[in-house]
Amino acid sequence: MSAGAPARTHPDPTLTSLDIGHPVYAAILDPKTAFWALVDKGRVADTLAGGALRDAYRRHADACGRELHALRFELKPSGVYLNPTERCNLNCRYCYLPEAQRRSGGHMSADQLLASLGRLRDYFRSIMPQGRKARAIFHGAEPLMNRDAVFAAIEAFAGDFIFGVQTNGTLLDEAAVRFLTARNVSIGLSLDGPCADVTDATRRTWSGRSVHDRVLGAMSRLRGYDAWSVITTCTIENLPHLSAMVELFHAREVPTCMLNAVRCTLSGARAIRPDDRAMARAFFAALDRTHELYRESGRKLVVANFANILIAIRAPTARRLMCDISPCGAGRAFFALSADGSLYPCSEFIGLPRFDGGHLLADGGVEAALASDAFNAVSGRNVDTFSPCGECAIRHFCGSPCPAEAHEMGGRMGNTGAFCEFYREQVKYALRLIADGEADDYLWDGWDEGTETLFDLAH
Amino acid sequence: MTKIVLIKQQTPPAPTGSAGAAPTIALRKTCSPDGVGLSHYVLMDKKVAR
Repeated sequence: MSAGAPARTHPDPTLTSLDIGHPVYAAILDPKTAFWALVDKGRVADTLAGGALRDAYRRHADACGRELHALRFELKPSGVYLNPTERCNLNCRYCYLPEAQRRSGGHMSADQLLASLGRLRDYFRSIMPQGRKARAIFHGAEPLMNRDAVFAAIEAFAGDFIFGVQTNGTLLDEAAVRFLTARNVSIGLSLDGPCADVTDATRRTWSGRSVHDRVLGAMSRLRGYDAWSVITTCTIENLPHLSAMVELFHAREVPTCMLNAVRCTLSGARAIRPDDRAMARAFFAALDRTHELYRESGRKLVVANFANILIAIRAPTARRLMCDISPCGAGRAFFALSADGSLYPCSEFIGLPRFDGGHLLADGGVEAALASDAFNAVSGRNVDTFSPCGECAIRHFCGSPCPAEAHEMGGRMGNTGAFCEFYREQVKYALRLIADGEADDYLWDGWDEGTETLFDLAH
Repeated sequence: MTKIVLIKQQTPPAPTGSAGAAPTIALRKTCSPDGVGLSHYVLMDKKVAR
């Protein structure tokens, strides 16, 4: 990881402006430290030239720079994504895992999964503050294809990890929901459409059968539980339906959703990739709809991937998702364990053998993987060092995701990901909400508990 | 571990010729980072799974 010392802020920091499309406000930014301020559009030139805001920022610039440096280069892992099987019962068009693995790959045995978690527990105990548990998330392919092993592991290590399961939802029957909710396991589902026709365009079984109704059944079983979410992967197939999607989620009391632009790591995903502008239009219409629903009902549906950008602006260290920071969280805030026992920087890299960091149960284990060339290639991807990101004013709000996508699309790490313009528009939208005093409406209540105010400059 | 610096400050009004200029907004909060979410999984609210 190329870190270097924290940047010492120049006594006269370099500020730049950004038109955020607001009738009154423009943004003033120091891209190096992720500092931002919103000023009257008529005063941008004066503010850049000097004055009270610049003087006030100068007093906090070093603290901002140190904080961002620590977030970007000084974290230790506190989470692991566990892939207990290579198999999936669905054949989604955009999956980042190779088809051969998903169709006929192997399970990790219960014994190996338990041994792996024991090794991981010991590793996390050695690096995490006492009393803080690591997160362990069972992840795709479809983890519930290997349900007995997964549930045995959750039972055996309940005191050592905060567990989560990301599942397609088709195997989440009553017994599974009872088991997982009784143990406070966080559960993520996936659904791509408000009706079967739309979901079926991207997510079906290998034989082509619809799974839409089965996922709705799982959502019904989870209603009233706090710790669950649904991911919608946004493609050309469902873009016109995103507002209807959030209406469905809100009606079914989904606490949190993600509306993710499809990851274009493998070619199947690129074939259904939406245009940035169309993506932004549909995404913002869906966000606006969540806000209307909140105003009507008093109940929020948090769109987590957007909420994370709002948080990245207001409290960079409080962000929950680690994709939108550079280096991203892969291979430094978390890593992934594949079903064959190999370690990868992130699940997105499973299926790309050059990013295999070695076997968890081999000598060296996690430490060897973190130091491997495979991991360093990812954790060393630094948005400051390649163009055009290195010159971009919002690079530390978006992080230029994702390294797997950038590498597979462009053949090297020093590329932007697939949705540069979409991210830029999200940041501008977020700053407009802040200008209008509405940002909290898009975040869960109490999002800033445990934070302190570093500065609040207003005049 | 993030250093916590608590500073609440009102900066003096900047000299300006435009009487009705909108107030400046600039805020930053900080905490100890512990996010591990990625695009395939998220737990936004730290409290709910504890």
